[in-house]
Amino acid sequence: MIGGKTRAALESFAAEVGSDSPVAVVGGRTHWDLGGHCLEETRLVRAPAGIREFDPADMTIRVGAGTPVEELDAALAEAGQQANLPLVPGATVGGVLAVGRDDVHALGRGRLRDALLEAVYVADDGRLVKAGGPTVKNVSGFDLCRLLVGSLGTLGLVGEVILRTWPRPAAQLWMAGQCDPAELRRKLYWPSSILWDGQTSWVHLEGHESDIESEAEQARLLGCDSTDGPPPLPAYRVPATALESERFPGRYLVQVGTGVAYVSEHGPLPDPDPAVVALHQRLKWQFDPRGRLNPGRDPLAAI
Amino acid sequence: MNAKASLGIDPEELASCVACGLCLPHCPTFRVTGEEWASPRGRISAMRQIQDQGAAIDQAFLSSMDSCVQCRGCEPACPSGVPFGSMMEATQAALARERRIDWRRWGFRVLGYRRLLNLLSRVLAVVQRLRLVPSKRLGLPKIPLRQDRLRASGDDVWLFTGCVMDAWQRSTHAAVKRVVESAGVGVALPGSGAACCGALSLHAGLEDHARALAARTMGALAGSAPILVDSSGCGAVLKEYGMLVGTAEAEEFSERVMDVHEWLATRLDMLPPAGEQDQEATVAVHDPCHLRHVQRAHQSVAEVLARYATAVALDDDGLCCGAGGAYAAMQPELAASIRERKLEAIGRSGADIVASANPGCTIHLANAGVTVLHPLEIVDEMLGEILDQAADDDR
Amino acid sequence: MKLLKASRRDSLLRDLRRVLPPDRVRVAPLERSIMGRDASIFEGGQAGPVCFPISTEEVQGCVDAARRHGRAVVPRGAGTGLAGGAVPLEEPVVVVTTKMNRLLSVDADQAVAWVQPGMINLDLSRALAPYGLHFAPDPSSQQVCSLGGNVGTNAGGPHCLALGVTSAHVLAVEVVLMSGEAVVLGDPDGCAPGLDLRGAYVGSEGMLGITTAIAVRLTPNPPAVQTLLLAFDSVDEAAQTVSAVIADGIVPAAIEMMDKNIIWAVENFVGAGFPLDAAAVVIVEVDGLPGGVAAEADRVAELALERGGRVRRAADDHERALIWKGRKSAFGAIAQIKPNYYLHDTVVPRTRLAEVMSRVYEIVEEHDLQVMNVFHAGDGNLHPLLLYDRREPGTLERVHAAGSAIIEASLAVGGVLSGEHGIGIEKRDFMPLMFSEADLDAQARLRRAFDPDEMANPGKVLPTGASCADVNTLGKIPEGVWG
Ligand SMILES: Cc1cc2nc3c(=O)[nH]c(=O)nc-3n(C[C@H](O)[C@H](O)[C@H](O)COP(=O)(O)OP(=O)(O)OC[C@H]3O[C@@H](n4cnc5c(N)ncnc54)[C@H](O)[C@@H]3O)c2cc1C
Ligand code: SF4
Ligand code: SF4
Repeated sequence: MIGGKTRAALESFAAEVGSDSPVAVVGGRTHWDLGGHCLEETRLVRAPAGIREFDPADMTIRVGAGTPVEELDAALAEAGQQANLPLVPGATVGGVLAVGRDDVHALGRGRLRDALLEAVYVADDGRLVKAGGPTVKNVSGFDLCRLLVGSLGTLGLVGEVILRTWPRPAAQLWMAGQCDPAELRRKLYWPSSILWDGQTSWVHLEGHESDIESEAEQARLLGCDSTDGPPPLPAYRVPATALESERFPGRYLVQVGTGVAYVSEHGPLPDPDPAVVALHQRLKWQFDPRGRLNPGRDPLAAI
Repeated sequence: MNAKASLGIDPEELASCVACGLCLPHCPTFRVTGEEWASPRGRISAMRQIQDQGAAIDQAFLSSMDSCVQCRGCEPACPSGVPFGSMMEATQAALARERRIDWRRWGFRVLGYRRLLNLLSRVLAVVQRLRLVPSKRLGLPKIPLRQDRLRASGDDVWLFTGCVMDAWQRSTHAAVKRVVESAGVGVALPGSGAACCGALSLHAGLEDHARALAARTMGALAGSAPILVDSSGCGAVLKEYGMLVGTAEAEEFSERVMDVHEWLATRLDMLPPAGEQDQEATVAVHDPCHLRHVQRAHQSVAEVLARYATAVALDDDGLCCGAGGAYAAMQPELAASIRERKLEAIGRSGADIVASANPGCTIHLANAGVTVLHPLEIVDEMLGEILDQAADDDR
Repeated sequence: MKLLKASRRDSLLRDLRRVLPPDRVRVAPLERSIMGRDASIFEGGQAGPVCFPISTEEVQGCVDAARRHGRAVVPRGAGTGLAGGAVPLEEPVVVVTTKMNRLLSVDADQAVAWVQPGMINLDLSRALAPYGLHFAPDPSSQQVCSLGGNVGTNAGGPHCLALGVTSAHVLAVEVVLMSGEAVVLGDPDGCAPGLDLRGAYVGSEGMLGITTAIAVRLTPNPPAVQTLLLAFDSVDEAAQTVSAVIADGIVPAAIEMMDKNIIWAVENFVGAGFPLDAAAVVIVEVDGLPGGVAAEADRVAELALERGGRVRRAADDHERALIWKGRKSAFGAIAQIKPNYYLHDTVVPRTRLAEVMSRVYEIVEEHDLQVMNVFHAGDGNLHPLLLYDRREPGTLERVHAAGSAIIEASLAVGGVLSGEHGIGIEKRDFMPLMFSEADLDAQARLRRAFDPDEMANPGKVLPTGASCADVNTLGKIPEGVWG
């Protein structure tokens, strides 16, 4: 149950958001222009920050959405745990969830969208709304949490979340080499990440020491060797399939197995299905009929 | 028709289904239709509508009941032990009492009269050769014109010969007899009293007729010798005489009944050893429903076969092939789509011979162009080769 | 009035039969009444015409016809739902997707398959065996439930502990909306920008549209597996062990728990060799690469021994399969004891498991009932089965009272109403215990964005009054639905 102090923080966040005039929530400004620019006259607010509740034995954590992801990670690390959020320097928990980009280890650890168990957000009318529930498994009612991840704050402004946590792997290893990423994927049982820039493949292994050794042996046979870490991700995220059909002049990096590619310069993407666009409009109309939440942003344009 | 309790199903039995649906995929008619009225759970629900809620028996009810193959695949699948077979038999008996039964079923009465059946079969065999009857459509096998007589070789065990099988597939009995004899025992054969086990009558709801046949059969297989059965449909009913007739004598009789494979499986070391080349033959084992779901003795077929050939199990959890006694003739379309699934499983097994311990299945599958033999016909063949080989070696 | 209704139905029937051949639109009273229930305890739902489409176009045709006649539409899969989600209220058009049961395509390299919604969960994993892949969510009903139903309820299963429930394994769905349009939500092979409509759709219990195809993510079969059967002299020790395993930082593939009564019932059916003298057994399965598997299995055994448990390891695949067969037949085995059961599905934080379990036993005792517990302990997902015989007068009231008390006890420690079976009709009226008016209003908005007229499966999940829209007349539970 939500303790008195954190409820008070949420209520004052809700009061700050209010029930009229355009308002946007600021995190670490790491992806501030994603999906469009925030309109001029928009009021800016910040979500409450801080770890609210963490019993390591439950493998879940409740945090204010304004908490920096690095702070979250440090708190979890002390208990030998981690959350499946990308550790973008300076970014906040609410921010990475609103942006919805997966961590680089998504292939093995799972998608960001599955990390969120519960969210408390401020709705367009200023009311606090709870989506989901605190347990690792929950199908009580419609799954609004999934809808919030990647919504760029256009459906509600998230104040607090409960995330599922995982044990930190006992051992891990990055390797790289000139080999076919598909071959790597076939040969290795459960790599946590495979990246490919058109020439070089990077692969991340994690788990029990002896298993990493045997998997690394496989990767070596394919021409990979240990390396420090993955290359930096180019700025724009596009569907990996777009690389085949569209022209992308710059550098690219495919996150194998997740359908995602990062590109340094982006070209035009295929138009979404009009029926999908219509559903977006109807959702926006239902959740924010006056268009006051994060105006100027469009999840469909978030690349 | 009197509304309440009109089906005469034991209320405890009827109440015992919790509607979990775990039986659905094991029901051949649900598998091919995906429709609830053609599933065990739907059928039980329909029975409840009639017996508990007083709904009228209508065409929808009849097709739900008559489309049931009575394979009883739903029984071992049910964790609550719902006795579907007995509920369905009660329902069929109630429907028969109301004379709501298909005229073709009266034909089953012929089965109890071996000479009549033999005669009719001979006529049919001639007619078939003159192509006057479309055998394929009726699902009939090619009936032999002449059959050699079987002769008893002792009195250690009885071999039950039955009706249709004796008229149409006597060569199977001969093979079974040879295999049993090769284990060093003498085989007794019943007279014409044991002409029919009564299975088809029972499934059609003609309980009285089935009881009369049971009495005759028990009379013809007297004594205490084990009664070996090579047709699993007959075996299942013979094992249930205790329940059907309800006397201590019938109970004792049923105790003596064994599927012939079940009997052989515990005496494998008495059979001649396998030759060297034999394991190469790959045989797909088709589990007849009444061996698998009712007698629950299907493992023994593979055990016996494995001594002489490579026996592969089908990967369909023993789903019915759609033969179901007279079912293939009464519900040809459903029976054919059910068989289609079985044929796919046979195809996946990679074997080119199929072993089936039930004549109904054999006929039904053979009609689709599959080579089907009785498991012991295969063993008999192998034993023949082994003996020939031994004779050659001696020379 | 009656006459009017009948003739209206006839013209609806005519329209439906323009779309589907006559034998795939069933209207006989018996055929409709059989559709009146699923595996939950509701009886007395009433179906209108029952349609069995075989293609997306036919589903669209059914929806169009229903819309023209102002009829609601209820999608139905195998009807194994335990919350009454597929129970039709007030004669809607029932669209059964069991005949749409084909595997449409498999891309083993990308680990994606497209399937039709009527395909049986276990059939999919069997079809994938040659590729060394499987579909991870394995509800105990997997041999019969449909993938469309799994998407509808966001089904879980023993092996969802480490890998997540259905939602985590569905990449895209093709859906026929109540406008009659077909649309693909999500992206099977990419990660197209936009809201996660797929995520919002999964678990919507047939209230946002009808699923006509599903792109599922496939999971590689683990190279090593170990299954441990832990036996305890008390439920408390068993529950403590489960919490200890989680707290130790191990995420096994599955942790399932069964108490004494259910062990007996199951053993009688399967003969899996469960210890009949144990007060509770815990099945723990660890899988993955051999090194990690061995280390984790040893650690689990150690934790169990420390808490007074006895440890048995499955020696081979056969023994392992028997253990799982025992676990997965548990619900069905109930009728050996009583012909009816009422089942709750709350989830509690895993640190509170032991405490809530003992509360459950107390509640059941207070209401003079019998209970069996068999559940996904690793997730904290309880399944107390309250046993009763509905022919005994007065028991049903006690069953309901005990059920409410269990829900309250679970929510009080920070739990939720349902972990995997969904809300349906059964738990609909409990929703306000977990959600405020504003929370429920937000869910109703999602519903209306997809289905403004509330035509898909009305009367489920959201308590009436949760939305500001006109209260739909179909939203009432008719008298007598509580069997
Ligand atoms: C013995 C037993 C064990 C079980 N074990 C588990 C378990 O371990 N985990 C678990 O999660 N559940 C379990 N269940 C519950 C049930 O099996 C699941 O909820 C399953 O997902 C339902 O699938 P179904 O095909 O039977 O769907 P149905 O019961 O037919 O429908 C369920 C819901 O989905 C909707 N739906 C069905 N098909 C479609 C479609 N094509 N389009 C849109 N909506 C659709 C329906 O409207 C309904 O709301 C169990 C049930 C039983 C009887
Ligand atoms: S006896 Fe066979 S056909 Fe009849 S309901 Fe049972 S499984 Fe289905
Ligand atoms: S017959 Fe058995 S398996 Fe089938 S629905 Fe009823 S209880 Fe379940």
